[in-house]
Amino acid sequence: MSNIDLSKRQLALSHKLLMSIDKPARYTGGEPNSVYKTKSDIRLRFCMCFPDIYEIGMSHLGISILYGMMNTYEDVWCERVFSPWTDLDKVLRDNDIPLFALESQDPVRDFDFLGITLQYEMCYTNILQILDLSGIPLRSLEREYDRPLGEYPVVIGGGPCIYNAEPIADFFDIFYIGEGETRYRELFDLYLECKEKGLTRGEFLHKAALIPGMYVPSLYEVSYNDDNTVRAYRPVYDDVPESVRKEVVTELDDVFYQTKPVVPFIRATQDRIVLEVMRGCIRGCRFCQAGQIYKPIRYRSVDKLIEYAEELIKNTGYEEMSLASLSTSDYPDLKELLERLIDLCNRKKINISLPSLRIDAFSLDVMSKVQDVRKTSLTFAPEAGSQRMRNVINKGLTYENIADGASKAFMGGWNKVKFYFMLGLPFETEEDIKAIPQLGNDIAALYYETVPKEKRMGRVQITMSTSFFIPKPFTAFQWAPMNNMQQFIDKAELTKHTMLEQLNKKSLSYHWHEAGTSIVEGVLARGDRRISEAIVYAYKNGCLFDAWSEEYKHHIWMEAFEKYGPGLDYYIFRERDKDEVFPWDVIDCGVSKSYLYREWENARAGKVTANCRDKCAGCGAFVFDCGICPGVGK
Amino acid sequence: MSETIRIKFTRTGPVSYIGHLDLLRYFQKIIAKSGIDIKYSQGFNPHQLVSFAYPLGVSMETLGDYMDMEVESFESTDSIVESLNSVMNEGITVVSASVVPEGEPTAMASVFMADYDVFTDGIFDENEISDYLARKEIFILKESKKGQTESDIRPGIKELKSFDGGLFMRLSSGSSLNVKPASVIETLNSFTGKNVSIDLIRRLEIYKGDENGIKPLGEY
Ligand code: SF4
Ligand code: SF4
Repeated sequence: MSNIDLSKRQLALSHKLLMSIDKPARYTGGEPNSVYKTKSDIRLRFCMCFPDIYEIGMSHLGISILYGMMNTYEDVWCERVFSPWTDLDKVLRDNDIPLFALESQDPVRDFDFLGITLQYEMCYTNILQILDLSGIPLRSLEREYDRPLGEYPVVIGGGPCIYNAEPIADFFDIFYIGEGETRYRELFDLYLECKEKGLTRGEFLHKAALIPGMYVPSLYEVSYNDDNTVRAYRPVYDDVPESVRKEVVTELDDVFYQTKPVVPFIRATQDRIVLEVMRGCIRGCRFCQAGQIYKPIRYRSVDKLIEYAEELIKNTGYEEMSLASLSTSDYPDLKELLERLIDLCNRKKINISLPSLRIDAFSLDVMSKVQDVRKTSLTFAPEAGSQRMRNVINKGLTYENIADGASKAFMGGWNKVKFYFMLGLPFETEEDIKAIPQLGNDIAALYYETVPKEKRMGRVQITMSTSFFIPKPFTAFQWAPMNNMQQFIDKAELTKHTMLEQLNKKSLSYHWHEAGTSIVEGVLARGDRRISEAIVYAYKNGCLFDAWSEEYKHHIWMEAFEKYGPGLDYYIFRERDKDEVFPWDVIDCGVSKSYLYREWENARAGKVTANCRDKCAGCGAFVFDCGICPGVGK
Repeated sequence: MSETIRIKFTRTGPVSYIGHLDLLRYFQKIIAKSGIDIKYSQGFNPHQLVSFAYPLGVSMETLGDYMDMEVESFESTDSIVESLNSVMNEGITVVSASVVPEGEPTAMASVFMADYDVFTDGIFDENEISDYLARKEIFILKESKKGQTESDIRPGIKELKSFDGGLFMRLSSGSSLNVKPASVIETLNSFTGKNVSIDLIRRLEIYKGDENGIKPLGEY
């Protein structure tokens, strides 16, 4: 932190306005480790946005890393902004106050860049709120392409949703495809150079599109066939690439890591030290987008992680630590890492919160060391109830794995089990659905077989939750039709009724998530540019914070999809053809379409594919020449 | 042998918009960063043994609030002040620390009176204030679990003086009679028919003691 006296900082909102809204500290900044710089030393100002409330945005590791990284650049000041909750939204509109960044409290409109991370589709109306409240025109093309750069911030998107950002492509100037550590400096230098030369926004964007990883949607013309499918994406300039390949950090140990994260005053959803142990996943679960778009798997070394942990403890004062990765059990040196971390945390009086681990003798031993066995539950995510269905989705978890882990845990004193499943998966039959509560019942029975009466601590508690499956781009199931609301509800009812027929029904409970948002999420996930107007319509008619069930307005979204674009049947309820051109084909995440199609056929045949560690499936991600892929470094 | 250390701290500026529990969490992190040999509770989720004397409301500044903390060991009270301030940021400062003598009640249990500067957007003149203080009873409505109850705050208003931009108040605090500055402004408004509102409340000092005499919480 520089020697700026923060206690004299001017706030954008008056005392009266701050006192009229809930949790004013969401908007006042100044938290420990937040970065303040002297404006006259700065050549480029970046405003980092997570389009949801502060508590959620501040829990996100990715923007925390980028915030730290950009602020290591002496000529750049990166600040933060989050979605104003509905109360502040109204205050800003009623009083004509432009949306402001937390640190300087300056209007977002005055920044050089507005970076928005897109973590889930249901935040899309919040993006429009951010632009609207900032006074930035909603559509990229309305932002003065012919005027010198600097009129409006360059709006750049990142995060997993950019793998199909077509529904929101009109609202962004650039999408940064892939991992943020690699290309921002280059982009900033280009921006500064163009600004100095007085180039127009359009000229800058054209040049930006030549930097690897930068997808400038306005530089692509989209044409459609009569059946509504995409005919082609054509770059408007010859030198703009036909598809944009994602950026990948090849060596995680060598790249910036945030060891001085901003520590929120108010309690964030994830309010603890987070160590990112690896990126990518070796398992190709066929429903899972994360498993594909972050390939190939790359690890941080134990030594580096311990070094970061020590610095983080010193710099934050947090009393809790957790590990972040897609599947921590697959970390090759997990035993060493956990032993050293537990030792460190014991010395520093830090609670370690374990990620969900594959349940075996090792993980149970670790869990019993750091948690109160009676209070915690075991977690299994088989995602499907029957073995047949688990083969379809390529989830390499068998009944034997679950039963073995559970019985060991029951012996160790655990008596709560949580199961996560999906309903509406491709090729699902009634038998597969019934197998969900049957699995719960079998595990309950196993408890009574394993644990003698005198050792039981009451009844075993088995909780099963189901979510509704939504096909996502860059997965084997991107060709699959999605279930409709009625099918979802029928399937949930069937699960419930079958549960009530089970012998151990008193030990079982079942929850399911609402289906409404799943439909909208499904459309937004595989949508194209023709539904951007539907998103604007939804926003203008009051949709905001759609990820919050109490704010979600289903009928407005349905109206929007009726008015704009080819409709739900087209986007989610049909099976796509093998050769159909997808809107997201303009993005190259390394994983080839032919591999994904092979996986789609393997799913149909119920055939399992080995994980990256056992046998390379030839997905295509070896082009990045790093991580686990064969031939790396040759 | 563990000891109880009582620290006195100030809070001014934008950081005042954080609530009482968040301030406590902030202090816990500061203590962890400072390297002070703080005492932890037992069990799976050990936590630091710290507690505030008197909750600070959202937006309230203070020049004299107190926190008790149990330490396993310490060098000197000055070194505690120094190590806390070395990791503190924006608007919070520890001004002093003292060792709480054996048998002394906790800071929270000791609170008896507090001084405030209340900055307002309007003024009450000398006459209005003396008329107000001349009243034998001043009732306010209090929300409680059982519904609304009336309570007389007059005995708890020990001093009330105006200054340029606001009012100085010395008010009874703690478990037996607790008067909030906002209640004084509210009742002043209703007696005078004015509509003065509060811009900022700044607590100046917290006292312990009884009807015979008071002392700041950090003096024994
Ligand atoms: S284990 Fe499967 S579901 Fe989990 S991240 Fe990897 S591919 Fe996705
Ligand atoms: S190329 Fe092979 S090893 Fe590399 S990510 Fe793809 S399947 Fe895994």
